[in-house]
Amino acid sequence: MSALRAEQEWMHHALIFPREVDGDERDGLLSASPNLSAAAGLAIYQRGYFLRIAACMREQFPALTRALGEPLFDDFVADYIRDRPPESHTLYDLGRRFPAWLGENRPDRDRPPAERELWIDFMIDLARFERQVFALFDAPGHEGRPFAGEDTPDDRLRLQPCFDLGAYDFPVPAYYHAVRDQREAPLPPAGRSFAALVRTDYVTRTISLTEPQYLFLEAMAGGADVEAAAEAVARHLGTTAEGVIEAWRTSGQRRRWIGWGFFIEG
Amino acid sequence: MAAARDAIADLPRLGLGLGLRSVHFDTILADRPPVDWFEAISENFMDSGGRPRSVIREVAEHYPVVLHGVSLSIGSSDPLDLDYLARLKRLAAEISPAWISDHLCWTGVMGRNSHDLLPVPLNEASLAHVAARVRQVQDVLERPLVLENPSSYVRFASSTMEEPEFLRRLAGETGCGLLLDVNNVYVSCFNAGADPVAYIHAFPCESVVQMHLAGHQHEGSHIVDTHDRPVRPEVWDLFRLAWARTGGASTLLEWDGDIPDFAECHAELLKAKGFMDGRTEPEAPGRLDPVGPEGLSNPVGFLVPRVMDSILLEEA
Repeated sequence: MSALRAEQEWMHHALIFPREVDGDERDGLLSASPNLSAAAGLAIYQRGYFLRIAACMREQFPALTRALGEPLFDDFVADYIRDRPPESHTLYDLGRRFPAWLGENRPDRDRPPAERELWIDFMIDLARFERQVFALFDAPGHEGRPFAGEDTPDDRLRLQPCFDLGAYDFPVPAYYHAVRDQREAPLPPAGRSFAALVRTDYVTRTISLTEPQYLFLEAMAGGADVEAAAEAVARHLGTTAEGVIEAWRTSGQRRRWIGWGFFIEG
Repeated sequence: MAAARDAIADLPRLGLGLGLRSVHFDTILADRPPVDWFEAISENFMDSGGRPRSVIREVAEHYPVVLHGVSLSIGSSDPLDLDYLARLKRLAAEISPAWISDHLCWTGVMGRNSHDLLPVPLNEASLAHVAARVRQVQDVLERPLVLENPSSYVRFASSTMEEPEFLRRLAGETGCGLLLDVNNVYVSCFNAGADPVAYIHAFPCESVVQMHLAGHQHEGSHIVDTHDRPVRPEVWDLFRLAWARTGGASTLLEWDGDIPDFAECHAELLKAKGFMDGRTEPEAPGRLDPVGPEGLSNPVGFLVPRVMDSILLEEA
């Protein structure tokens, strides 16, 4: 190992695990100056490492920060980046593994599933939703190109690229938007919720869905055309695909989804 | 190398520019303020498929733009990230920046990224290491790289040369350009107990393509490079010297924490004119900042968009 490699591995470890720094080793690798001891200089980097990433994580998970309170959110972030130090050149990637990490490291993980605390399930659901919202903000989209119109035949409707779906055990989209609108946002009781996220003109929309609507769009996201997606819903409801499509049209869903930019012409 | 050096000599003098920040996007696009040029953080745009990419394309249609990176990690002992360089090159092909810069630092090792600008030991071995990587980057990007002196709080005991000498030799061996961050000079010199004026005199100003100005937090015992307030008098005074010695290199104001509105940032930038033409006399050194929480060095929170501002709820 080169001297440079050894110095960098040591300093990087010192950032992530400040309590494991050996004082003699530190003072051998870093020079003191008249104004800053080696310990004081290193401490500026160590403190900055956590604060910098925590600030970015709070920006990526503002509703979760509100739900947990900033001190507890920061505690989770501190543990998260010790377990999963950032790997990407982009700060946008910081939160990618956070929802899954919360699930794997929930404080009650050693208890049987039936005895686990519901508020933790809510926080994990909320983290998942916020990550979807954040990812969609800068994902490749369809701006500047034509979307499908109401006269586009059903068999040519395809979901646009900047689109995502979520199924949750809590009404997390509603909670997120309450926080966004600076309304009171008590932790909600459990309850299945479904949502579509779609971006047009660089504005993302959250659209709450029923379960059949979610199944319809989930099938289309998997590559099905309208007819095949309707068949999937019909199997779920015990009805016919023709009936599903008819209801989709007459209820105004088709028109609204096209208006919100769900579809491009394939 | 000679080609890179010639390319550096041919780079334009852009005047006074501002860092392109997302909180100012709407003002810049709507008002087209009379700023000479903008510097964009490369990582904020190179992976973007959303509004940031659209904004930088539009800004580049109306202003000269420079790309300034924070994750090249030119001093790391990890291999260079060729995928990163490919993305950077694609963005450069789209917006034709006047140049591409980054920092003399390392940001990570073992495949990890600290998202900080960490100091490089300044010795013969690291010089050879960094020089080889600069050549590799220049070959990939097919243009000279411009490197900035970072702010620093520690010095490796293995260092055997001062930063100006290191950068002089690096520029001489590779033909790269230099970005002289005047605020970083003041911060690093104060923290190291060194003389910032001597630093500027020792700096290879003939290789300087660009300068940076920014505010910092003076803690008495040390200085933190916070970029969250106006430029301090001591840095303006140092800028007068740097302006003269570089022959008027393109100059840019960075304001990255508690970012005020565009007009206030622009007004702070335009103070530079008084120091450039000698109308503004140096002020007495600024007072210490009020006692309070220590700020964050190299803040990056401004790089993360406020996504909540651009999302609507619709009922199905």
